[in-house]
Amino acid sequence: MSTTAAATPRTGPPPSSLAASSAFGKFVTTFSISGPVVYCLVQYFNYPLFTFHPATNRIVWGYEAARSGEGPNMLWYGWSATTILIAAALGIIAMMLPDRIARKIPLSLVWILPILAIPYVVYSLMPWWILAAHR
Amino acid sequence: MKDKNTVSAETGSTMSGLISTNTFWTLWLFVHLIFALGLLGALTHQAAAVALPVRKPAGGIVSRFRAVPAAGYATTVCVLWVLTYLVGSYIYTKYRIAIRIPLEAQHYYKTGGFFDFKEHVATLGLVLLPAYWYFWKNAQNPQYDNARKGVTLVLAVMCWFLFIVGHVLNNTRGFAS
Repeated sequence: MSTTAAATPRTGPPPSSLAASSAFGKFVTTFSISGPVVYCLVQYFNYPLFTFHPATNRIVWGYEAARSGEGPNMLWYGWSATTILIAAALGIIAMMLPDRIARKIPLSLVWILPILAIPYVVYSLMPWWILAAHR
Repeated sequence: MKDKNTVSAETGSTMSGLISTNTFWTLWLFVHLIFALGLLGALTHQAAAVALPVRKPAGGIVSRFRAVPAAGYATTVCVLWVLTYLVGSYIYTKYRIAIRIPLEAQHYYKTGGFFDFKEHVATLGLVLLPAYWYFWKNAQNPQYDNARKGVTLVLAVMCWFLFIVGHVLNNTRGFAS
């Protein structure tokens, strides 16, 4: 029978070695806090790690505009890759922080920042909304 | 360049002569759907468990829905999110050519815009997974309670959004189109 214990995680097993690591905790919290911010910046400044051209299956480092006669370009993969690399780099730097400083990072930013990123993402899609409004 | 395992972007070509291109992509779309359904179920259970924790022995179906051992879902959710993301990323290559261009030609701009919105949300969710996993694996530590609850609810809302947009888009131009 399901009881309070089932839904209350406090009674769960002790964390694995990775989850028990303080350094790993600093890495993941920094990665996840910085990730949404970095993604918005990467998209705003348009810094894809690579550009994919789906019609020709061509991948080019960095940004490359769509070429005439070769179909559209896709930047989302490159933006995501850049974000993961930068967030991981920030996470590695955070691992070197002393515990007393790392403890001051508000953990609630992990879920607040992605919510705050949504208005920017909607704004970044403005060309779609403008086209829809003038349809 | 094509080999026997690749599929060209043109409609009507075949993979190894066994199945049509449409069938090939429909199968991948189905795999994407199966992963997404598993993810949606796991995250919804977990979100219900953290938002409305059960205080007494579970009786009805709603209480039982909330009374799952939520911590045990964390790794599964991460794996399913990544798998769904990877399969979705693969399908996206076909979408960009075979779906989006006709959508634009028919002036389905809101549909196209919401699909791009969905892709951004998928990546925003992806970068939350490491902290989400860590918070759940340290469920004994009350320091992470609020963050764990917040990130789980955010991921659950994101997942529902991704699922609904994907579903609507599929209805617009998806399976067998």
